[in-house]
Amino acid sequence: MGEIRNHGDHPEEEEDDHHINLPKKPKLSSFLTQSQIHHEFAHHQLGVARINNGSFGSCPASIIAAQKRWQLKFLQQPDDFFFNQLPAQILRSRTLIKDLINADDVSEVSIVDNATTAAAIVLQHVGWAFAEGRFNKGDAVVMLHCAFQAVKKSIEAYVTRAGGSVIVVHLPFPVNSNEEIISEFKLGLAKGKLNGRKVRLAIIDHITSMPSVIIPVRELVQICREEGVNQVFVDAAHSVGSIPVDVKNIGADFYVSNLHKWFFCPPSVALLYCRKSSLSSDLHHPVVSHEYGNGLAIESAWIGTRDYSSQLLVPEVIDFVNRFEGGIHGIMSKNHEAVIEMAKMLAKSWGTNLGSPPEMCPSMAMVGLPSSLGVLSDNDALNLRNHLREKFSVEVPIHYQPLKDAEVGPRDERCGFITGYARISHQVYNTIDDYLKFRDAVSKLLQDGFSCRMLASREQ
Amino acid sequence: MSSDNHDRDDESNGATATTDKLSPMDLRSEFSHHDPTVARINNGSFGSCPSSVIEAQQRYQLRFLQQPDDFYYNHLKPSILRSRQAIKTLINAGHVDEISIVDNATTGAAIVLQHVKWCFFQSKFNPGDTAVMLHYAYGAVKKSVEAYVTRAGGHVIEVNMPFPIASDDDIITAFKNALELGKSDNRKVRLAVIDHITSMPSVVIPVKELVKMCRDEGVDCIFVDAAHAIGSIEVDVQEIGADFYTSNLHKWLFCPPSIAFLHCRNPEVPNLHHPVVSHEYGNGIAIESSWIGTRDYSAQLVVPEALEFINRFEGGLDGIRKWNHQKVIEMAEMLVKIWCTNLGTPLDMCSSMAMVGLPACLGIMSDSDALTLRSHLRDCYKVEVPIYYRQPKDGEVDPVTGYARISHQIYNTINDYYRLRDAICNLVSSGFTCKVFQD
Repeated sequence: MGEIRNHGDHPEEEEDDHHINLPKKPKLSSFLTQSQIHHEFAHHQLGVARINNGSFGSCPASIIAAQKRWQLKFLQQPDDFFFNQLPAQILRSRTLIKDLINADDVSEVSIVDNATTAAAIVLQHVGWAFAEGRFNKGDAVVMLHCAFQAVKKSIEAYVTRAGGSVIVVHLPFPVNSNEEIISEFKLGLAKGKLNGRKVRLAIIDHITSMPSVIIPVRELVQICREEGVNQVFVDAAHSVGSIPVDVKNIGADFYVSNLHKWFFCPPSVALLYCRKSSLSSDLHHPVVSHEYGNGLAIESAWIGTRDYSSQLLVPEVIDFVNRFEGGIHGIMSKNHEAVIEMAKMLAKSWGTNLGSPPEMCPSMAMVGLPSSLGVLSDNDALNLRNHLREKFSVEVPIHYQPLKDAEVGPRDERCGFITGYARISHQVYNTIDDYLKFRDAVSKLLQDGFSCRMLASREQ
Repeated sequence: MSSDNHDRDDESNGATATTDKLSPMDLRSEFSHHDPTVARINNGSFGSCPSSVIEAQQRYQLRFLQQPDDFYYNHLKPSILRSRQAIKTLINAGHVDEISIVDNATTGAAIVLQHVKWCFFQSKFNPGDTAVMLHYAYGAVKKSVEAYVTRAGGHVIEVNMPFPIASDDDIITAFKNALELGKSDNRKVRLAVIDHITSMPSVVIPVKELVKMCRDEGVDCIFVDAAHAIGSIEVDVQEIGADFYTSNLHKWLFCPPSIAFLHCRNPEVPNLHHPVVSHEYGNGIAIESSWIGTRDYSAQLVVPEALEFINRFEGGLDGIRKWNHQKVIEMAEMLVKIWCTNLGTPLDMCSSMAMVGLPACLGIMSDSDALTLRSHLRDCYKVEVPIYYRQPKDGEVDPVTGYARISHQIYNTINDYYRLRDAICNLVSSGFTCKVFQD
């Protein structure tokens, strides 16, 4: 990740991450204590083991308070806010994001609501290319089998309906190494091109959602270039705040990440990076307003009257993360270490496994569930998740992983096949008790001879 | 000037908070977050929201932050449905399926115009077929028409109407001519974009008549952009009869930023989708719009609370509309009398806004002058009011080229308009003209 400075700092000052800074603002004289962290997240519902930071993210109280100040400014005098404050503040956020992700130029950074919106922007651009004859009917778009459902729908809406075809590349799971992913991707892409189709766009996750795994995007982007794929769009919804991000190094044409998942912003805000090139100048925000034609970043900064406050808090978030030892890098390392430790603890307790090696886990890990729970469909997975929420106050998403082959697959210590995985997250507010609560919930289910079949029959 | 006709009887009976009529003190308290030093006579641009509705919104925001998964799975959908049902009743729609909630009218327009784009793509419409819209259509909507209709092969015809305007007839005639032009050379008029209340200059348009004309002509898609309508004039979508009708609830209906509805007479028409495609794609425009990825939906959930607030005003929404209209006319007439100018429209073509001619000697000669004068009024007099530049016709002597679009909402007091009056008089007496902005 590009260097993050406290936004008030003087560039000429040397800064050592471990040096306790002399306070420029009186209150920030040392790192946050456990108790202060607890207070920052005191609005989280008591009694819930909240181990799903991945889905909706989280936001500390001091950022929420900063957001309310911006909201109040609008309510006090909206015209003044619109004319005199909003554009400068959005530019301020964009500039800090540019540094965060090591982009070359702030014009490459747009702020949008979420990764879903970014996908619509990129795919609508592809849709126009089909309609206006720049792409031919049958030209292809590549996606991963486990792409986020909303992105799949967006591909259907803008590509398939415009006459494009879709190449689906299956990635292995459980997975043991980057090499497995790279070779599967190479094979899948080559197979998809067999009939001579032109591949116009590849959409690759940086961290897949379900099952969650860090994808070696740099290598995959390289393969795309070698295979003649025109453009690559990296859907990195989870990445900022959980793994280092260097967009130049990754080399994609488009890169999107949510900032409300792992970067402590309130719902919702995402960055969309578009590498400067003649092709990217034709991207438009689908909600067309006064700024149409002035470039995507400027278009996205005004899409009609709405609450833009969540987009204005990047400076405050940077201050917040710098109150942790090691700043955002320290947070990322600690989260990663903790989630692996907890994942191993759970796997040991249940006699199961992790879905990927630790180095392929960000701040989330896929932990195999005991086979006797009987997660045998997506419905089972959702039902089990609801059951855990309602009966045990544990919030954790469950993934159903069908076996590739009826005879072969990962087994638990009772030799049953593992087809269910829990995607556990670790963020700064989590404690070991959250995971012990989950461990005990599953132990109780096992003790009671529970199986997902029981939830399905209850529904009928 | 604020509601001094509250009902004291309710209070002395010890009625519960929700049926208590708003006293002047309540009203001041509900809008105490407004900058007290500013004469805020521009409710039209960004609207306003009472603190009790903001508090309701914050309660929803907190629930999401407390347990977002639970909120998403168990509370969000029913809460959005509740808002949609309230809107359906408010606008006399036939069925709740016809009501989608979106961010704002700009988004509503994008949905409709993208639908039109697909009709061109699929050759339901032919290249060169026409789209008719008012010359005074909102800038963002014009851009959207360019982005989706012109780009897809449509040809745009603007309806020129005079301003100042004398009556509905001026508009109806101009519109008729535009439809004729749109049909000429074997073309078909595929889309009509009709404002219910134009933004700048602000005029109430006879939409019912125009929609009927479009129906009689067989226009395929009739879209009413009514951004300002709900809360300032009566809205009955069945009576108006358009295919699509969108209005913002954060302008005149006391909702926080931002929320609008898009009414679709036939929500199942093909190719009608929210442009931000998510999991609900294909489940109908209303359901698609209710989930477009993780974001703060709280502004969309407080329609019932906004209506509760409205019902604390004497006469409810009807009372508020009448009051605002009466007051804005009164203030507009006070100003034209002092400045010796004119209104831009007859009284019955004003909503809760009125176009008040500014003294010609101010020398407003361009859109840029109008914007700079607006900033000047904000910075030097703390008066917030948008200014419209009207290009004079050849031969006009001492033309009125600038109009202030004054708004009246229930928080306004007569003082707000005295301050505008005095600011302008001050500029006039000091010999000010917009020429100074060129230096």
